[in-house]
Amino acid sequence: MIAPDWFREDRLPHIYCAGCGNGTVINCTLAAVEEMGWKRNETVFVSGIGCSSRAPGYILADSLHTTHGRALAFATGVKLARPDLNVVVFTGDGDLAAIGGNHFIHACRRNMDMTVICMNNQIYGMTGGQGSPTTPQGAFSTTTPYGSSEPAFDLAELAVAAGANYVARWTSYHVKELTKAITTGMQTPGFAFIEVRTQCPTNFGRHNKLRQIPDMIEYLRGHAMHVKKYDRLLEEGKPIPEGTFTVGELARRNRPAMGVRR
Amino acid sequence: MKLVIDEDRCKGCNLCVLVCPYAIFQEGSELNSRGVVVPVLDRPERCTNCRLQHLYGRVLCGLCHMICPDQAISWIEEKPFEPHRVEVEF
Amino acid sequence: MSRVEFMQGNAACAEGALAAGCRFFGGYPITPSTEIAETMARRLPKVGGVFISMEDELASIAAVIGAAWTGTRAMTATSGPGFSLMMENIGYAAMTETPCVIVNIQRGGPSTGQPTRAAQGDMLQCRFGSHGDYSTIALTPNSVQEMFDLTVKAFNLANRFRVPTLLMSDEIVGHMRERMAIPDSVDIIPPAPLAEGSLPFEAGDDGVPGFAPFGSGRSIHVTGLTHDERGYPDTTDPEAHDRLVRRLVTKVESARREIADYVVTNPDAETVFVTYGPPSRTVEQVMHTHPDDDIGHLRLRLVWPFPEFALQEFPNAKVFLMPELNMGQMVREVQRHVDQPVISIPKIGGELHTPAELVRILEAHR
Repeated sequence: MIAPDWFREDRLPHIYCAGCGNGTVINCTLAAVEEMGWKRNETVFVSGIGCSSRAPGYILADSLHTTHGRALAFATGVKLARPDLNVVVFTGDGDLAAIGGNHFIHACRRNMDMTVICMNNQIYGMTGGQGSPTTPQGAFSTTTPYGSSEPAFDLAELAVAAGANYVARWTSYHVKELTKAITTGMQTPGFAFIEVRTQCPTNFGRHNKLRQIPDMIEYLRGHAMHVKKYDRLLEEGKPIPEGTFTVGELARRNRPAMGVRR
Repeated sequence: MKLVIDEDRCKGCNLCVLVCPYAIFQEGSELNSRGVVVPVLDRPERCTNCRLQHLYGRVLCGLCHMICPDQAISWIEEKPFEPHRVEVEF
Repeated sequence: MSRVEFMQGNAACAEGALAAGCRFFGGYPITPSTEIAETMARRLPKVGGVFISMEDELASIAAVIGAAWTGTRAMTATSGPGFSLMMENIGYAAMTETPCVIVNIQRGGPSTGQPTRAAQGDMLQCRFGSHGDYSTIALTPNSVQEMFDLTVKAFNLANRFRVPTLLMSDEIVGHMRERMAIPDSVDIIPPAPLAEGSLPFEAGDDGVPGFAPFGSGRSIHVTGLTHDERGYPDTTDPEAHDRLVRRLVTKVESARREIADYVVTNPDAETVFVTYGPPSRTVEQVMHTHPDDDIGHLRLRLVWPFPEFALQEFPNAKVFLMPELNMGQMVREVQRHVDQPVISIPKIGGELHTPAELVRILEAHR
């Protein structure tokens, strides 16, 4: 296991289903924390509600497991009151994009100095697989039994537009790249947003012919395209396959940030 | 160094089987006491980390224990190798 | 020594918070509480504090709770609609035992109602508004001086009991300007620290666990889920839930004699006014113009946990009269604790009872 010092080993195994990508994202985050050399008494993990938000409960550090959608608002309070603490927020697509959408864009706008890791499984997993704002159009879930009729949010692009200093997207399959992106996000002053497309074979895959874990991984791998390749294809006017999402670093800039350690 | 799977944590998702470049992890076939089919290790000494981690002083591949969502895979130190006589029968 | 000022109620509340050591304010503008945010925005940066205008009231209370967990004294101020939005997180603060102060400058409701008019319509909401069983402390000032004093007291009670503490003022007191004195210093009670070797949510005899803020190296997991003494979620064990929620309620309720704060006038009276907040000023006026030992007055400065024993201070009481700026909320609490008739004198619309109105009802009931 990665970073054994950072796990509450008395709480493992965690509650995630077999094949869930969230555990992988915890590994990558803690590997990045170790690389940063952060200490336990200067690191706070904050989360909201949902599968993703159970993550801080397995991490041996101060952690705040809050109400649905409000993780970023709580984290803003923590960071402003104690700028010397490193704040990492775990959130999910429902938590961040649906109920917490307002807090998300405002935290990006303020450019709060924190690292936000969104485990985007494109579904409400904890409640049993209901359609979320990131469920792709046409995808099935328990509340979109005839296929989702709504367009989905692109969270990383939203963060870029709202002003985050660092934005990247990877999948829970790309563990090395993801760890590097999280580390870079932690090093960047200001709001760092890392969207992780995670597999949810239990609730997303089940309704979308991706019930087997390798199928779900193959789906993520097959639809991920590096942003540079994507831009090149666009430039050359070549067709981009349907359902493709970009991965890689989408923004790195130096807007003025709030809550940076003085 | 030796690769081990913690059977108390493994949920049998076989992600390690999917990512291992040396095909060391193989899908298991037997249920353990928790009702999980834990992957089995096929000649784990072929693992680069097991062989070379000490030499290089860093993790060389580590995909399996990075991707393992259940924190079940790790390397443990082995006892130093003790030479012993092997009787060869012709 | 103290400094005498002519000040508005909302400004006095902000001054009280600063005197009590408040160094974080997260808010959202709402009439009639905005002057508190404005004063804090002006004053906090000068004393090394943080003011932030959040995107809504949900975020304001969330940021306040987050800041409180770093050991900073934190507060927010709002009015009815914003208070309704805060409800979920007030329950979270109660569940996670976060010491923080929420000021509600009440206005006419329901919904947007009367933004510039006074009411006392949130008195039950402040006690029962969030879902589930919990207990909070609510204070009701009736003057600019008390806006200062009770804000200081609210911070100390919040720290002592680790509960979200509510200052339930209203538009009348918030926007009133009168003479008040700012003392040179006030008593500040810090939360009891978490003893070495104790679990983070392991309480002593008083039901209040020690507080270890973030960054103190105790690696505390704070969750709104039902949790055990270690802070770890335990959502299925009936006993764990019973133990936790019973403690959350009793730690406040069992201390109600210790923290009771009320003023008794004419304890031998037969006709007794029971008031809290600004209606007490009308009653004081009535008692001033009708000096009569037969009119008693119980003024509550702390309404939750309700001090039912205060009603026993009037052994000769034949009738209790209760003027409130609502359709009759706290009157139910009085009614269930006494055998004598309790007459509700509700008034809504945003204005105080006039002395003449109270005299008319007083004469009818004696």
